[in-house]
Amino acid sequence: MLVLLAVPLLALVLSTSPGDLLDGLRHPLALSALRLSLLTTTTSLALTLLLGTPLAWWMARHPGPAERVVAVLVQLPIVVPPAVSGLALLLAFGRRGLLGPLLERAGWTLPFTTAAVILAELFVSAPFYIQSAAATFRRLDEDLLWAARSLGASPARRFFRVVLPLSRPGVVTGAALSWARALGEFGATLMFAGNLQGRTQTLPLAIYSALETDLRPAKALSIVLVAVALAVLGVLGRGTVMEAIRARA
Amino acid sequence: MLELDLEVARDGFALEVALSLAAGPTALVGPNGAGKSTLLRAVLGAVPVRRGRIVLDGHTLLDTEAGTSVPTEERRVAWVPQEYALFPHLTVLENIAFGVPGPTGRARADALIGQLGLNPLRSRRPGALSGGERQKVALARALATEPRVLLLDEPLAALDADTREATRVFLAETLHRLAIPSLVVTHEMRDVVALGGPVVLLEAGRIRSTGALDLFRASPPSDFARSLVTRIGGGL
Repeated sequence: MLVLLAVPLLALVLSTSPGDLLDGLRHPLALSALRLSLLTTTTSLALTLLLGTPLAWWMARHPGPAERVVAVLVQLPIVVPPAVSGLALLLAFGRRGLLGPLLERAGWTLPFTTAAVILAELFVSAPFYIQSAAATFRRLDEDLLWAARSLGASPARRFFRVVLPLSRPGVVTGAALSWARALGEFGATLMFAGNLQGRTQTLPLAIYSALETDLRPAKALSIVLVAVALAVLGVLGRGTVMEAIRARA
Repeated sequence: MLELDLEVARDGFALEVALSLAAGPTALVGPNGAGKSTLLRAVLGAVPVRRGRIVLDGHTLLDTEAGTSVPTEERRVAWVPQEYALFPHLTVLENIAFGVPGPTGRARADALIGQLGLNPLRSRRPGALSGGERQKVALARALATEPRVLLLDEPLAALDADTREATRVFLAETLHRLAIPSLVVTHEMRDVVALGGPVVLLEAGRIRSTGALDLFRASPPSDFARSLVTRIGGGL
């Protein structure tokens, strides 16, 4: 098993000399993909934190039938195949989609734009954050929150001075997992945003495109993604992928 | 003066209490599951009250018939739960000043830290404190907000025997000095005696008796009260 897990990654690293790596990274395809991935994943992470935190908090504080329905909705993008997510996004926000005419009237066309990349990344990655944050919020000692209230603390003060600092590990884990998922997003992006260099071609799509022409940027970008994955594991700490999964359970 | 007339229904348990508390400490005793902590939480606003009123010095904090309910954060009801609920990520100073942001909070916290002899501990976090120290910090944190009512849920239960002895005296003195009603849940007659104030006996969600300490000791109103009074020599 270990061989099976290690050999592909080893092959990737061994087949790329430092010179290849530098050449690959200097390739125009690589540079624009790096830039775009950085922009879109940062934006989708910011949106995830901004919109996902209140939802996670609501889920943690309102257990019941409504919360269970929301929990299923939040988990679905994790288990649904990315191609299905891409199709669903097209059917929702495409020009002839559910909300397409509405968006068009407002002057917005989403498919095949950078915004579509961000939306696809948000769709597939936000659930990781929301689940991890909600699990952490649920574990907070209720008495601490009542103590804070009895001391006159406003909801904002309670959240920023008590809830967030005490939930930091879960929030950071969720954010790291979510960002890593957004960075690796391929299928939904390809279907909903296409593969246009500089506009919608993120790192995984650039690797896919480079395979047909020049392998060097593909290998260089792959190594970058492996390095990023290792860094994410570093953020999660020792043995924490399993912990993170448990936290999300 | 704190006036309570409350009905709480929770998970098949019903609490019905009508009670007036004057300034100074009042001991709240009763068997496990009698509803003591629930009563405290109802005054705090942490459990829903089905019917009733809470009036503090003429101000209505809760009136279910009139649809009035002052939110917990505006009630100025300080609450110290059994395990103290200190914020584990904040220092002693930050914990005590939590309820009063800005320089005023800092000044009050400094004064309380001085009064309670917590100076060497001001930069420590609760995890590095002994039980007795935590209890003092929790009390200081509650007092810093200048509350109008103080609710203490078994304030001495988490302490070892020696610390409990010293803290009991300190607590009784502090509560007498404050000119506000305080309600102290306890399982120990020594605490009741040290507090010296009226005793409220709660059994199965109802007030069985309320009155002066001497009367409670002279003629315990129930089997539980009798066992509490006779247990004085043996601690818990």
